[in-house]
Amino acid sequence: MTVSRAPSSILFGIVNLYYSIVQFCQVQLVFGRGLASESECVSMTKSESNPESEVESTKREIHHAGEEVRIGVFPCRCGKNIGAVVDIDEVAEFSRDLPGVVFVQDNRYTCADPGQKEIQVAINEHSLNRVVVASCSPTMHEATFRKAVKAAGLNPYLCIMANIREHVSWVHQSEPELATLKAKELIAMAVSKAATLEAQPEQDVNVTQAAMVVGAGVAGMQAAYDLAEMGYLVYLIEKQPTIGGNMAILDKVFPQNDCSICILGPKMVDIYQHPNIRLYTMAELESVDGYVGNFHVKVKQRPRFVDTDKCTACNDCVEVCPIDVPDRTDQNLSWRKAISIPFPQAVPSAYYIDVDTCLGMDLIRCGKCIDKCEQEAIKPEDTEQVIEFDIGVIILATGFNPADPRKTPRLGWGRYPNVITTLEFERLINAAGPTEGQLVRPSDYQEPKSVSVVQCVGSRDISTRSGCSNYCCAESVKCALLVKEHYPDTDITIFYQDLRMHGKYFEDVYRKAREQGVKFVRGRVGEIQQFPDTQNLRLSVEDTTHNELIMQEAELVLLSMGAEGTAGELPIPISTTEDSFYIESHPKLAPVDTSTAGIFICGGAESPKDIRDSVIQASAAAGRASVILQKGRYPIEALSAKIMQDLCSRCGSCVERCPYGAISQDGTGKFTVVSALCRACGTCAGDCPKGAIYMPNFTDEQIFSQIDIALGDNPEEKIVAFACAFCSYRGSDLAGVSRMQYPTNARIIRAMCSGRFATKFAQKAFEQDAGAVLYSGCHLPADCHFQTGNHFMAKREPRIRKWMERHGIADDRFRVEWVSAGEGKKWQGIMTEMSKVVERHKEELASRKVAPPKKKPAKKKAPAAKKTTPKKKAATKTRKKAPQKAAVKKTRS
Amino acid sequence: MTDTKTPEEIESIIESIRPCFQCGICASSCPVFRVAPEINPRHAIDEIVKTGVIEPDGTEWSCAYCLMCEQRCPMGVSLAHLLVAVKNISTEKGNAPEGLPEIIHSILSTGVIAQDSDLDKMREKYDLPPLKRPTAKEVRKVLELTGATDLLELYQSKGVGSD
Repeated sequence: MTVSRAPSSILFGIVNLYYSIVQFCQVQLVFGRGLASESECVSMTKSESNPESEVESTKREIHHAGEEVRIGVFPCRCGKNIGAVVDIDEVAEFSRDLPGVVFVQDNRYTCADPGQKEIQVAINEHSLNRVVVASCSPTMHEATFRKAVKAAGLNPYLCIMANIREHVSWVHQSEPELATLKAKELIAMAVSKAATLEAQPEQDVNVTQAAMVVGAGVAGMQAAYDLAEMGYLVYLIEKQPTIGGNMAILDKVFPQNDCSICILGPKMVDIYQHPNIRLYTMAELESVDGYVGNFHVKVKQRPRFVDTDKCTACNDCVEVCPIDVPDRTDQNLSWRKAISIPFPQAVPSAYYIDVDTCLGMDLIRCGKCIDKCEQEAIKPEDTEQVIEFDIGVIILATGFNPADPRKTPRLGWGRYPNVITTLEFERLINAAGPTEGQLVRPSDYQEPKSVSVVQCVGSRDISTRSGCSNYCCAESVKCALLVKEHYPDTDITIFYQDLRMHGKYFEDVYRKAREQGVKFVRGRVGEIQQFPDTQNLRLSVEDTTHNELIMQEAELVLLSMGAEGTAGELPIPISTTEDSFYIESHPKLAPVDTSTAGIFICGGAESPKDIRDSVIQASAAAGRASVILQKGRYPIEALSAKIMQDLCSRCGSCVERCPYGAISQDGTGKFTVVSALCRACGTCAGDCPKGAIYMPNFTDEQIFSQIDIALGDNPEEKIVAFACAFCSYRGSDLAGVSRMQYPTNARIIRAMCSGRFATKFAQKAFEQDAGAVLYSGCHLPADCHFQTGNHFMAKREPRIRKWMERHGIADDRFRVEWVSAGEGKKWQGIMTEMSKVVERHKEELASRKVAPPKKKPAKKKAPAAKKTTPKKKAATKTRKKAPQKAAVKKTRS
Repeated sequence: MTDTKTPEEIESIIESIRPCFQCGICASSCPVFRVAPEINPRHAIDEIVKTGVIEPDGTEWSCAYCLMCEQRCPMGVSLAHLLVAVKNISTEKGNAPEGLPEIIHSILSTGVIAQDSDLDKMREKYDLPPLKRPTAKEVRKVLELTGATDLLELYQSKGVGSD
């Protein structure tokens, strides 16, 4: 454990005395590794740290909870978009009477410059301290209006929007009266929340002007080089004894078929000699602590036993070494010594000793190399080193591994010597390879007269990797061309499923291969068998263009190997896909960012890709990383969870729920949130058994009051729909944008993440007689923008259903759905279906008129039942399981 | 409890084979396709997916149920199970091979297809204990539960033997 120095605490939340928790923030612990690291604390903007100083004359920071609430409401007509359906005059009149509202002004286009000006003028003239804009979706213009109120001196977090366009006028076009009613209620909900909104300090943290790149293949090298050229210090970490990655062992690279090491070699030397790059080979990440701008890294470097500065790569040691080891570079097709260099162009240009096979670096056991080395470069005393450094950003370029042919036993690799992988072929055709560029078949060292290439090995198969590996089609065509180049008479057939020659210049290569007589057969090879006498191979494959079975005989078979992901092996919590590639923050708009700020991905670690794409992505990652480095300070999410220590029972469930490792426990057992790491998803608060976690501006009280107002009139007709901000709310917006009509009875409550939707919200809504409740989040398993919030929400569903069963609430009145930002249609469908449920529920209520008054006392019991201790809950858990299942079954049948 | 396929059941069968991307690995691996080129399992799937109807043409009865296609299918499509469904539909339509009722009757009454076999002698040769014979009662129950008995009745009611 690292010793944490005297906690460098800085008064952090002077303004947030809403709950009198002293906000001393000791920034420590990250990534759930339990390692504490002293680090500098969150700083605040000028005006925050000196709230009383009136330096910026007209700018006022309004954030005192005790102050009189003065809300301004600004209903917008949005031309005819809202105005044609919703009666804005009526809405404005209604808004005037809402508690706390002191000013109302409608506008044709509130978002336009004059509209924004009016808000600013109103803030100053009427001393408004809260602003509600009733117009479009917050995803559309929240930033616009926040900026506008900020310019008028109001804290941007004190502005809130009521969505009366996407959620009202666009989806209820033929029901103006009901739409107007809904608009009023949405504004009332927003006003009630606005009254308790809290100003949030805009915070930023210092950024250490250095980067770490993990993996020194072609992508990592490029990323490191770009950042180093920009002037930043770069720590480049490589697991192998040399940099260069997979590219260094290739012979030629498509589409131009230029010599791989000839173009890579000089780049490797550039990296080694760059004054801003600290290269560590044979090194692996031990731990990463901290957060964006302030990562603290520990790297473990294995002993090389050779002094890289003294070694001249003269080869003397290799000549005397008695131990033969299969050569990794040559894909185990040849031997190297226990002391060796991966390949002549290796960087650093120095030998290393494979300690697992070396007899012993002393004169008793062997020590021949020590004896022979004139430079005295061999250091038997070398030991493992732990290197520690601080950096601001991390780029992961850990690459991929070629797929393992043993996982596809039907193709005979390993059993039949003449079945080789494309990578083995690269070494055989390489002038520096084991055969000095002679293509021979391993069984008899004869030149093959016929070669077959089998595509999609280890790719596009659910038993290995279901995805396409991207580069292998071009790789196979290149191999075919290389064979043709060296041995034009060779008969060569490529068995492909779909030839994906998608890259720039690739089609030319394909054409060239056809022109040179390479045969292409569409069909996936079923199996390969060996003729025992000739050791030739027989491939059985259906030629799918001719519906006929081909039994092809070949003297050599190349398996075109796909890629296997390696992501997830590092001590860094970046989510990975099922096949072990890192997941980007957004597949289109943030393809090299990750869900953790300050950590970027590129190259084969992100997905299988060729050299060109790896280099492009590496430069992109370096560019994105430099945006953070260059600014020097990084703004962090102002909203962050706070633990109310007087309520906290110290159960620690929040720690498990936090995907960012933002919650840590100090020596006294007290849990605190590191605000710099918190992204305010609210998953911790959603499951806190004591309700001890306070989510500013998404508090329990605020959500309860929204529910209260939503269900103020005719609650049995209403749907209370909770939607997460990133997927479901946007999905509901899309329904609006697409003008997909649905009934007007839904009241949508937005939260950052579905992880925030606590069990008690649904309970509260049902206690208030809600017709139906919807919890909607990002799709399982991996769509959640806060990594795992949706999983924790899903886990609450059975509990809610159990509670509903106990209280006699029909199972179908609660729904959990996964709606992506692209599923407007789905949202419309859910709303329509749930309205039918509500309709039925209403009829039921009407049929047993006596029921409602009877129900009340039953409901009063509900909170009591809810307050059972966690222990009791656990005890009832197993008992209640069976009836729950039965209930689900019932609804299905 | 007949095995007559409802449109929903047929739809769910087709649903299960839709992922097929026509790579041909099933045909490449099929021992029947090797000797009977007119029976192409890949083609059969393509027809069903494209037309949306399952139209047994008699070739389904050639499937040896070796499951090679299923084991190798990169998309996890269970061709062998599809063919079982096709065989059932074929039977419903009265198109099962002539010997089928005979076989089922043999199983129903004795529990086995063929009474005399060299299997026990062979096992004896290798010092293996004789296999336990299934009782007709057990087998009948299995056939009843899987709907095979009903299907047979349905088949016979179509009056296959009549022409």
